[in-house]
Amino acid sequence: MIEVQGLTKRYGDTVAISDVSFSVARGEVVGFLGPNGAGKSTTMRIIAGSLGASMGTAKVGGLDVAEDPRGVQRLLGYAPEVPPVYTNMSVRDYVSFAATLKGVDDVPAATKKALGRVGLDKVSHRLIEHLSKGYRQRVGLAQALVHDPKVLVLDEPTSGLDPAQRVEIRNLLAELAEGDRTVVLSTHVLGEIEAICSRVIVINRGKIVAQDELARLAAVGRKVKVELARPGADALAALQAIPGALRVDFEEGRYVVLGETDLREAVSAAAVPFGLLEMAGREKLEEIYLRLTSGGAS
Amino acid sequence: MRNILAIGKREFSAYMTAPIGWIILCAFVVLFSFFFVASLMFYDQASAEAVFNPYQADQLNLNDMIVVPLFGNMQIILLLAAPALAMRLIAEDRRTRAIDLLLTSPVRSSEIVLGKFLGAIGFATVLASSTLLYFGILALLGEPDPGMMLSNYVGFILLFGTLLATGLFASSITENQVVALMVAFAIGLLFYILGWIGGSMDEGTLKTTIEYLSMVSHFEELQKGVLRLQDIVYFLTFIGFFLFATTQRVEALRWR
Repeated sequence: MIEVQGLTKRYGDTVAISDVSFSVARGEVVGFLGPNGAGKSTTMRIIAGSLGASMGTAKVGGLDVAEDPRGVQRLLGYAPEVPPVYTNMSVRDYVSFAATLKGVDDVPAATKKALGRVGLDKVSHRLIEHLSKGYRQRVGLAQALVHDPKVLVLDEPTSGLDPAQRVEIRNLLAELAEGDRTVVLSTHVLGEIEAICSRVIVINRGKIVAQDELARLAAVGRKVKVELARPGADALAALQAIPGALRVDFEEGRYVVLGETDLREAVSAAAVPFGLLEMAGREKLEEIYLRLTSGGAS
Repeated sequence: MRNILAIGKREFSAYMTAPIGWIILCAFVVLFSFFFVASLMFYDQASAEAVFNPYQADQLNLNDMIVVPLFGNMQIILLLAAPALAMRLIAEDRRTRAIDLLLTSPVRSSEIVLGKFLGAIGFATVLASSTLLYFGILALLGEPDPGMMLSNYVGFILLFGTLLATGLFASSITENQVVALMVAFAIGLLFYILGWIGGSMDEGTLKTTIEYLSMVSHFEELQKGVLRLQDIVYFLTFIGFFLFATTQRVEALRWR
C-alpha cells in the first residue's frame, strides 16, 4: 500500500533523510521508531504530500505522491504531531470543514461518524481553543480519518499527553488499526509500538537501521539473564565455561551472559545445578531500540 | 469551486469571530463617520455662504462635495485596513501549523489562495456595506448621483481587492504577521505615491508609465463616475498578479 524508494531530503547541506526505502502492505500496522531529529516526521510529511523529496519516490496505493498528490491525499489521512487545527472554530465546524476539503459527499454524516470514533461527541460544540491537549490530539485524529482513508499516517499522536490520555488514544489507535486499514505510526512510547504494531521500522540519523517484525528484531538468546539461588565463584566459572559465551557480568543480583549465538539452552543447563530461579533471554523493545539507535540523533 | 467556497467561508467566519475583524470594522466605521460628518459640515458651511454668493451656489453639489471626498478619504483608510485584514491569512496558518490541514488535503494551492482571498473580499464587502447607511442619509437630504455612487463602490471594492491581494502575498512570505503587515503596507504605499512621483516628472514615456502604474490615477477616474475598462483591467491585473504570486509561494511551501 505504501512504497518508499530511495527517499532523500536535503535542506542545503543538511541531509534530513538519506536513501530511505521501505514498503507497508495493505492492513499492516507499522511503527516508526527513532530519536528526535532522526527523520521520522520528514518521511511522513513526504508521504502525506506536504513536503517534497530531493530524490526518490513515495507511492501510496500505486500513486506517486509527487505526480498525483491529490490522488494520494484522497487515500490517506495524516495527523501531524502538532494538530493542524483552527482554534477559533468549534470542533464540529472544524471537522466538517476538513471533511469538505477532503471531498466527502455526505459531510454531516462523515463528521458525526468521525467525532463518534474519536470520542468527541460531547465536546463537539466547544471551541477548540478551550480543549485540553488530549482532546486537541483527538481533533487532529478526527480530521485525519473523516474521509475514511485506506491509509493513516500518524506522527506521534500521543506526544505530550498524560498517561491516562495516552491509554485512551492507544485504545483508539488499536480500534483504527482493525480491518484492512494500513497504519504508519511514529511514537516515542515503545509500549505503544508493542501494543499496536505488527512491524517496526527504526530510523536513525536519516537512515533506516532496521525494519522487521518485533519478535525477529530481538536478538533472542544473545543476552541471557539468570538469577540463581546459590550465586558465587563456582556458578560464575560454570557460566564462563559455556562454549560461545563472550562475557559474563553480575548486575543487580543476576548474571548476564553475552554470546554470539542463542545461548539459552546452554545457560539453563549450566545454571540448574546452582538453583535456577529465573531466566530471561529475550531483549525488550527498549533494549533493541537503544542498540539500533546507539549514537543518538544527528 | 467547493474548496474555494469552504475556505472562503471559514476565513470570513474567522473575521467575524476574531477581535481583529471587529476592531477593523469599528475603526472603519468611526473614521468613515468622522469624514462623513466633516464633509456634511463643510457642505453646510458652503450652503450658508452660498446665500450671499450666487456664483458659489452654482458650485454646490452633493456628489462633488461629499461623495467624491468621502471615497477619496477611504483610500487612506484602505491603505491601512487591507494589510491589517490580510496579514493573518497565511502567516497565522503557518505559525500554528493549521496550514498542514490545507496542504495534506486534496486541495490545489490556487484553491487555497482564492478561498482566502474570497473570505477577505467578503469581509471587505461587509465594510463597504456599513457605508450604505450614510449614503442613505445623503439620499434623504439631497440627490446623490446613483451612477457615481456605483462607480465609486466599484472602485472601492477593486482598490480593496488589490490591497488585499498584496496583503495576501505578503502574508505568504513570512510566519510573522507584523512583518506581513509592514510589507503589504510598503507595497501599497509605493503604488499609491507613484502618482505623486509621476505628477512631478516631465512629460514622456516614463511619466506615462509611472502614472499608469499608480493606483491613485485609476481610482480617481472611478471616483469621478467614469467606469473605464482600462481602470478595471488595471485593478484586475494587479489582483491577478499577486494572487498568482501567492499561489506560487504556497506551492513552494508544499514542496520546499
